[in-house]
Amino acid sequence: MADKVSTIFINGTEYPFKEGQTVIQVCHENGIDVPHYCYHPGLSIAGNCRICMVEVEGNPQPQISCKMQCAPPPWVSEPLKIQTESEVAEEGRSGVMEMLLVNHPLDCPICDQAGECHLQDYSYEHGGGKASTSTAKTKLPKNVPFGEKIVYDAERCIKCTLCVRFCQEVTETNELDLGGRGDEEIVIMTSKGEFETPYAMNIIDICPVGALTSKDFRFKSRLWFMDFAPSIDTSSAKGVNITTGGREGEFLRIEPRYNPGVNQWWMSDEGRLGYKFVNSPTRVKAPLVRGENGELAEALWHNAIDAAGTALRASPGDVLVDGGCTLEEMALAQELASAMGAKAKFAAATGEGDDWLITEEKGANAKGGEMLGLARAKRASAAAVLMIERDEHVNASMREKAGAVVVFALDMEQVPDSAQVVFPMPSWAEREGLLVNIDGLVQAMERNQGIGPGNLTPPVELLEELIGEFDDAYEWRGREGVIESIRAMKAFEGVPFPGDTATAEVGA
Amino acid sequence: MAKKYPETKILSRNFGVENSWTLDVARERGAYKSLEKALEEMTPDQLIEEVKTSRVRGRGGAGFPTGVKWGFVPKENDKPKYLVLNADESEPGTFKDRYLMELDPHLVLEGCLLCAYACGLSTIYIYVRGEYPLSIERLEGAIEEARKAGFIGKKVLGKKGFDVECYVHPGAGAYICGEETGMLESLEGKRGHPRIKPPFPAVEGAFGCPTVINNVETLAHVPWIVEHGGQAFADQGIQPDPDNPKALGSSGTKLMGVSGPVKNPGVWEFEFGITVKELIYDYAGGPLDGREVKAVIPGGLSMPVLTADELDVKMGFDDLVKVGSGLGTGTAIVMDDSCDMVEACENIAHFFADESCGQCTPCREGCHWMEKIFARIKGGEGTPADLDLLERLFINIEGRTICALADAAVWPLRSIIRKFRHEFLAKMPGTDAADGEDPKAAEAETVGAK
Repeated sequence: MADKVSTIFINGTEYPFKEGQTVIQVCHENGIDVPHYCYHPGLSIAGNCRICMVEVEGNPQPQISCKMQCAPPPWVSEPLKIQTESEVAEEGRSGVMEMLLVNHPLDCPICDQAGECHLQDYSYEHGGGKASTSTAKTKLPKNVPFGEKIVYDAERCIKCTLCVRFCQEVTETNELDLGGRGDEEIVIMTSKGEFETPYAMNIIDICPVGALTSKDFRFKSRLWFMDFAPSIDTSSAKGVNITTGGREGEFLRIEPRYNPGVNQWWMSDEGRLGYKFVNSPTRVKAPLVRGENGELAEALWHNAIDAAGTALRASPGDVLVDGGCTLEEMALAQELASAMGAKAKFAAATGEGDDWLITEEKGANAKGGEMLGLARAKRASAAAVLMIERDEHVNASMREKAGAVVVFALDMEQVPDSAQVVFPMPSWAEREGLLVNIDGLVQAMERNQGIGPGNLTPPVELLEELIGEFDDAYEWRGREGVIESIRAMKAFEGVPFPGDTATAEVGA
Repeated sequence: MAKKYPETKILSRNFGVENSWTLDVARERGAYKSLEKALEEMTPDQLIEEVKTSRVRGRGGAGFPTGVKWGFVPKENDKPKYLVLNADESEPGTFKDRYLMELDPHLVLEGCLLCAYACGLSTIYIYVRGEYPLSIERLEGAIEEARKAGFIGKKVLGKKGFDVECYVHPGAGAYICGEETGMLESLEGKRGHPRIKPPFPAVEGAFGCPTVINNVETLAHVPWIVEHGGQAFADQGIQPDPDNPKALGSSGTKLMGVSGPVKNPGVWEFEFGITVKELIYDYAGGPLDGREVKAVIPGGLSMPVLTADELDVKMGFDDLVKVGSGLGTGTAIVMDDSCDMVEACENIAHFFADESCGQCTPCREGCHWMEKIFARIKGGEGTPADLDLLERLFINIEGRTICALADAAVWPLRSIIRKFRHEFLAKMPGTDAADGEDPKAAEAETVGAK
């Protein structure tokens, strides 16, 4: 027996592989582009789309790289030699592209997937650019509701079965299957009307084409007009990595972002749709100060800060922050509270959870609050400052009974009568900062420029201003400086922060 | 014309005998003798060796050596092991297994039991084509009789440790469920989508357990092999070509059939060696009066076509491959001079488009596309460029899918458009062939113009 082969030649370069790895895995690990539709690293291998074909030296037929093992057959002692860009591979792929488009409606101008469609991308790269068919296309069902949130278009569908396999293998709820045969094959719902799983909308993301679209996002915007930013889902405390998408101030979409240690490729529907409050028409868009007539009126930022300082000096007290506030905001809230000789607390709702991505803890940074030493407010109590983002955390009873004079509020509906000064609270998609998930993993979120009213001073800056109102010697540190001081705390000793190496793996 | 080639009666020895499907008649004529012999005299390994010696090859179409297949079943494996008998005879023009199941179900069962003994299998599933109600009825009757007689159940014939159960599972009419892994999925109650391999069924087959899958006719040979020895079987038929390691020969006998416009369609059993021509003219009676044979697909629908000039080839695995076709199921489909090859192609393409399971892109989209092109040519709207397009589609469909259905679609179609190109050109307006000129000259002109 020859020694076990442990390398593979791809386009002439030798790469090592781990036992059991497939050719497409090694290609992707090394930045070699191999197109794929039915392959998903989180699901079983179906091998049905055939687009990932590569040339294997010695084989006249191109082979699918998603199923092909890097290890040669036991009787071969030489490493396999693979070509991903050769004539054989390209000819194979363009043949598949042509087949995929024979019955495809080519309705990209009205398709939500346009711009992030693998069919579009690969058609551009591997397609012939010219139609060889003049025959009528197969007609299949369109606009089929898959539950309340998803719409299916069988004509756009390339039957890669990723959605079917997701429901079989990841959620194990089996709501989807295939019906029909041949080119009349379609995806069907096997359950009555609605998905059992609260993770169903992930099939929209993994659908490589526009066959599955979100009812929520349908026809809202072309992707190339939108702004995207990496962020964290704040609807629960798992710290699911997401990408926020918005356009001209409107929050339009949340999609999960791959993190092997937290959420892999997935997120819950609740988190995905949990952005609606950000688009409220009654958002607080400018600082407000209560005038002599007793009405709140727009004010300049520095006037509002002065007024807040005055109000707080007159009636200092505790600072109660939203459990979704960032680590930096909570740390500064703590400093502001101690400058006033009071305490900082956080409020976070709890609810139903599962053993996966939906936690019973709903405060996205509740763990961070605890690590900073903030107490958890369980019921209404007095507070001088409130920071409110989501209604459910600093709830109505807490807001009304706190008697706070300075309020950071996202929505006018959240502002209690006691407020003398109101600062606009940007939503999490509009702020940058750190969150500690329920497993103690520190993760960063970035601001999406396309979401929210814009021109809102970050709460971190406002908090520093307010501390300055009490402490003349206070030196501005900025967000970076605040993070420095958090890292110096005992509770954060040895805790990796984003940017440190191997953060992503923590909490796996 | 006098019949030049003798019929042999190994598999078909009980055909035509009154009540041949009942246990009493079958036992009188020797049924289960081989099983008794094997259980008394042979170890499972000896039995596998005997089958290897016989060089019997699978009769379902692929022609894989049966003994080798049996040898793949892992011995050290705690899982139950299964035999799935492929009786989903859905290949067009093929009706040989049906004769076996209807007229000699006990021979089929005995073959299954011998396989179960050789490979250590605990359960036999017979996946019967749903459109064969009589086969299902006779098999179920035979199983009942065999169970009462102690051939099925705990301790078969008193042999300690040899427990076998047997069930009939009717199919529901899908061609793809005759593909072995599509059949396994269907047996498990799922959609008949062929599985991507590896793992192969011998390692992970039905219900995730090691599984042997054989054709009905293949296993029906085994009792005779046990009775007379593998060598006696191997001595019959066409011997392997010592110069070609791929030519494994065609040992033993084969049920061969003919359908189509011939005087006497039917099934006969021959020792391998008869030519396609002898089969069609001597036994099937040749074409109907006033007609001529135009083309023959030697085995089922899924093999390349032979023209009338190419029929002097032996019906054998390697012989037919040598002339660019294949034995397939060994049941020939004859097309005579009244057959329009364009319509034949449309019909063939329609069959495969309709039966494509829809799993792999090239087959799902390609088969239907081919059908549309043939329909267009038939309707007089085709152009010579369509034939080039078809050739390109063949390349992009053949060998690019999980199972062999796509290959099966390409082979007959490609051979027909190559061998009968003039018939296609004749339907294309503007070509010389369509204007009634000499088709061969027109063909040469178009080919040259490419």
